[in-house]
Amino acid sequence: MKTNAARLISANILFVLSFSMAVLAQGATLSGTVKDAAGTPVPHANVSLKNINTGQTIQSQADEHGAYQFANVAPDDYELTAAAIGFAAKTESISMTAASQTADISFAATAAGPSLSDLGFPTAETKSNPEEQARLDKRTHMLKIHQKMGLITAGPLLATIILGAGAGGHQTSSTTRDVHAALGITTAGLYFTTAYFAIFAPKIPGTETKGPIRVHKALAWIHGTGMILTPILGEMAFAQKSRGERVHGIAQAHGPVAVITGIAYGAALLSVSVKF
Amino acid sequence: MLSPKLTLAVLLLSPGIAFADSQWVLQQSTLSYHVSHPLHQVDGTSRAARGKGTCHGGQCDFLIAVPVKSFDSGDSNRDLHMLQVTRGAQYPLVTVRTHLPESAAGETQIHVDLDVEFAGQTAHYKDVPFQISTQGNDRKLTGTIPTKLNDFRIDPPSLLTMPVKNDIPVKVEMTWHQQ
Repeated sequence: MKTNAARLISANILFVLSFSMAVLAQGATLSGTVKDAAGTPVPHANVSLKNINTGQTIQSQADEHGAYQFANVAPDDYELTAAAIGFAAKTESISMTAASQTADISFAATAAGPSLSDLGFPTAETKSNPEEQARLDKRTHMLKIHQKMGLITAGPLLATIILGAGAGGHQTSSTTRDVHAALGITTAGLYFTTAYFAIFAPKIPGTETKGPIRVHKALAWIHGTGMILTPILGEMAFAQKSRGERVHGIAQAHGPVAVITGIAYGAALLSVSVKF
Repeated sequence: MLSPKLTLAVLLLSPGIAFADSQWVLQQSTLSYHVSHPLHQVDGTSRAARGKGTCHGGQCDFLIAVPVKSFDSGDSNRDLHMLQVTRGAQYPLVTVRTHLPESAAGETQIHVDLDVEFAGQTAHYKDVPFQISTQGNDRKLTGTIPTKLNDFRIDPPSLLTMPVKNDIPVKVEMTWHQQ
């Protein structure tokens, strides 16, 4: 019995000893923070720990607060190195014992590597220009209104053209003509407001116009002219019809000019909306 | 008097020679951002980037910069809009910094950490893969930086009231020359 009990105790002691050895072999934790010369944490630095005696290196990366950690570090002498973008790599010697340690690393004040001045950009390309930014902001703001109003204008423009098909015939009631005229006036009002936001949007000096916007601008000459002519011709046609006359003379061009204007307007919308 | 062989051995073993400073210069580059919109797929390209890398003690620091204005999407109106939303007049350059071991020049693929400064904000991109091909003394790097608009607090621009996608991957092709 005694022999069995002794064996059991010995086995337990061996188990406890081997467990303790395993725990000790796992080593301690080395942690710290990577900072710049001013003491501000440097995020995402690469941190390596090299065992001076074995040459074995383990890698880690600091988190967004500059904190790094190595777990299970066996007692020995090490080189702790931190490297981060814009800083010269920093190496420090450290002796690990069984106890966990804290080691902060601070980079030197001057950032390593090339600076912007080394790249030789002309000053004009690197200088901040808040005035131009303000112009760009105003331009975008006005063009956004131009874009939205342009879309809104397309509705009454289309309705005016559709109603116009029946507004000039012998059988047309004056109500249809009146609605057509009212829609035409609304369209013209919206159109010229839309145009205002494009025409008076600030220009950016040194910008060469290219791409689909050239087509958009070229079409504006067509629908812009059409939008001036159509109401004038429409007014002449309206007066002739109100006197009981057939639409004659130059007023006959009202319909075709309106259709061409509508087509040019639609094409202008598509030119900046769909990639051809 | 040292023999020629001994002199050569001393020079080769000298730390000053083994870890001599070297420089890399960006010779050619094409940077293209890609924007996705329900009605458009747009690519804006710049070939105006400049870059330098300085190496010391086996470690290299690289800086690449490109003017925001230099990106050309083929439409001046769109480019001006891009310049506005990215605050390109106020922050005229996009800069990229990275740190690499000098030995990376001998690899065919590397993963790099990048600090990208754009529109007055800095974003960190970790483990961005780049392919490297060797052409004499030059190294050609190709890869894509997975940039997103909200990384730089840029509101997605919209066309016909529909905003573009948040992802604007930047395809990079660079040829570096060792000096």
